[in-house]
Amino acid sequence: MKPYLQYLVILLDDTSVAYCHANNPLTERKLMPLETLRKAILFGMKQNLMIQFVYPDYELPTEYNELIETIDHVKIGREVQVLDSVPTIAETDNIVLRLTIAEFIAKQYDIAALLPQTTRLNICLTNIESFTDEQIEDYKKALATLNAVLLNLYKQAKNPQLNILTDRLQLTEMHNCEAGIGNITLAPNGKFYLCPAFYYDEQMGISNRMNHKTKDASRSVGDLERGLDIPNKQLLQLDHAPLCRICDAYHCNRCIWLNQKLTWDNNTPSRQQCIISHLERNAARDLQLQLKEAGYVVNNEIKEITYLDPFEVKEEF
Amino acid sequence: MQIKKYNGVWQAGISKNITFIVTKDCQLACKYCYLVGKNEKERMPFEVAKAAIDYVLDRENDPNFAYESVVWDFIGGEPFLEIDLIDKICDYIKQELFRRNHHWFNSYRFSFSTNGINYASEKVQRFIEKNKSHLSIGITIDGTRRKHDLNRIWKGDGPERGSYDDVVRNIPLWQSQFPGDGTKVTISSADIPYICESVLHLYDLGIHQVNINCVFENVWAEGDDLRFEEQLMQLADTIIDKELYRNYACSFFSENMGKPLDCQLQNQNWCGAGKMLAVDAAGNFYPCTRFAQYSLRDKEAWIVGNIHDGIDNNKLRPFLTLDLCTQSLPECVDCEVAEGCAWCQGENYDAAKTHTVFERATAICKMHKARVRANNYYWNKLYRKLELEGKREEFEQNKKSSNDIIC
Repeated sequence: MKPYLQYLVILLDDTSVAYCHANNPLTERKLMPLETLRKAILFGMKQNLMIQFVYPDYELPTEYNELIETIDHVKIGREVQVLDSVPTIAETDNIVLRLTIAEFIAKQYDIAALLPQTTRLNICLTNIESFTDEQIEDYKKALATLNAVLLNLYKQAKNPQLNILTDRLQLTEMHNCEAGIGNITLAPNGKFYLCPAFYYDEQMGISNRMNHKTKDASRSVGDLERGLDIPNKQLLQLDHAPLCRICDAYHCNRCIWLNQKLTWDNNTPSRQQCIISHLERNAARDLQLQLKEAGYVVNNEIKEITYLDPFEVKEEF
Repeated sequence: MQIKKYNGVWQAGISKNITFIVTKDCQLACKYCYLVGKNEKERMPFEVAKAAIDYVLDRENDPNFAYESVVWDFIGGEPFLEIDLIDKICDYIKQELFRRNHHWFNSYRFSFSTNGINYASEKVQRFIEKNKSHLSIGITIDGTRRKHDLNRIWKGDGPERGSYDDVVRNIPLWQSQFPGDGTKVTISSADIPYICESVLHLYDLGIHQVNINCVFENVWAEGDDLRFEEQLMQLADTIIDKELYRNYACSFFSENMGKPLDCQLQNQNWCGAGKMLAVDAAGNFYPCTRFAQYSLRDKEAWIVGNIHDGIDNNKLRPFLTLDLCTQSLPECVDCEVAEGCAWCQGENYDAAKTHTVFERATAICKMHKARVRANNYYWNKLYRKLELEGKREEFEQNKKSSNDIIC
């Protein structure tokens, strides 16, 4: 089925926790007005969207909490814990770990120790743009370390989830971030953005992560009054992404914000993004082979490939 | 039977185009010129050109430069305003190709598109003499005096002054030195009534190949398509009736256009943006000159690197993954006469709603459709004539597919 809008991400405050690749540079509190929140929830209900509230690090006023509880939702920054360092003990069973590549490599054994304490661990790298070919081997080794933990957990009849390794095992087609297609973000100002990163950029006066000027510096794609208006929406879709549509790193975030930042086009991934995703894809294949060897029935066999960047073999497709 | 064959581009598809924007100045202020940021200040220092050449030649096996041949393009503004610089650059290129034993030695060209005004000057002629076997030079003359002077006027205040006389006087010399080289004619809305007379006039001037295209910008008025079609049909009649097709070619008439597209077999991008490399006076690299700031109305330059830091290949990835169907609207993909409908990647980018090269501008749509109708008329009429004369088979054997030159 073609992806369709299913999720509404509501940033409750300008300082709401960053939970993905982009850091939140906004430091001054700006709580979404209660009336805006009310309209946002109504919008979500009418559009039949699952709402994900993104929390700041302070307690919300009672009336906000009451309003939020009127609708089925997920609390990012609360029940889904978002951390910028690796804890020794997991406080929740669903954790997003935001780390630099160097931190991920350096802390691989800490992450390995954390993994069994969670039902789902999401690793989110915050500096993909700075990934170099010299880090490939170290990244591979870190993934192998985590593979060993995952294999043990499987052997204990558990069902571990580590986004960068186990998601690919389950997938038979692309399952990416789908910002602007499967989900949309509402900022405290009542405007829609493809994802929180675009809101951060706008608020920081970065009209576009490329060096472009725009007559209108806004990055919004609509508001609660007018609804959604996403120009060139087709370019967010997989079938309009020439590299991604031939790729089988199905778990890749395919982050359009990073695409725009690094290649200047929403539908084109950077070399760094492709290589990292393929290292993960190949590590998932290794895990799959180990599971097979251990006697597990394996579906969705991941094929062996000889490239890390589909750009290098694009002519073959 | 002799049929004029369309001269293709030298080493098309196997040569790397490297363009030096040597100056952003020009003696003329052509009304349809897409260069919105021309100025007299930005002249390329030799050191910048040298650094660009070194960067390119240092990377002989880099996929960006692993081409059999190279075309060193010089554009402006008007490139021949900087003939001393160009001469020095070309000398340096030749020396370096030789010194490095580079595989481009003896497989290179220096290419120029000029307004022709300085063509006969002593310096330009000396340069031509020195490099003749490796040169392609195209002089732009737009047709009859009234057509040419409608757009191609001298810059400056005061009454409008056309440049026709200043260019046409150099055409015989140019054609004697480069007999096969064609001219490039640009059609905007106001030029439509003069298309037929202009192409025929260029033939009269001894130019055997006329490369002509409509501007890609959104300049077209209601009814332009019908006026355009009428002009092309008049031209078709004259070319066929006077058998000019034997010795002359006009790029408006091509057998390879006007059919539906196959999204599998014909999905390649139209232009070479991204496969080319342009460098400006500041030493910045672009995927094509159309992405330099002086070419863009509404967007900022798409700089892919510079002579100091090199090329950021991430910035080239969108260009090198472009294909026809991804950047086209569904109605363009499904269009029954889609084949041969051209675009300019730079104009696509400039006119796009978002910052992308994947949104195809369609301002030229009705002009393309008009061209297809006239083109169909031309070939139907020509084929019938050849058949009646018993020359169709000979024509089929001798024909060569044309190669539209659009920018």
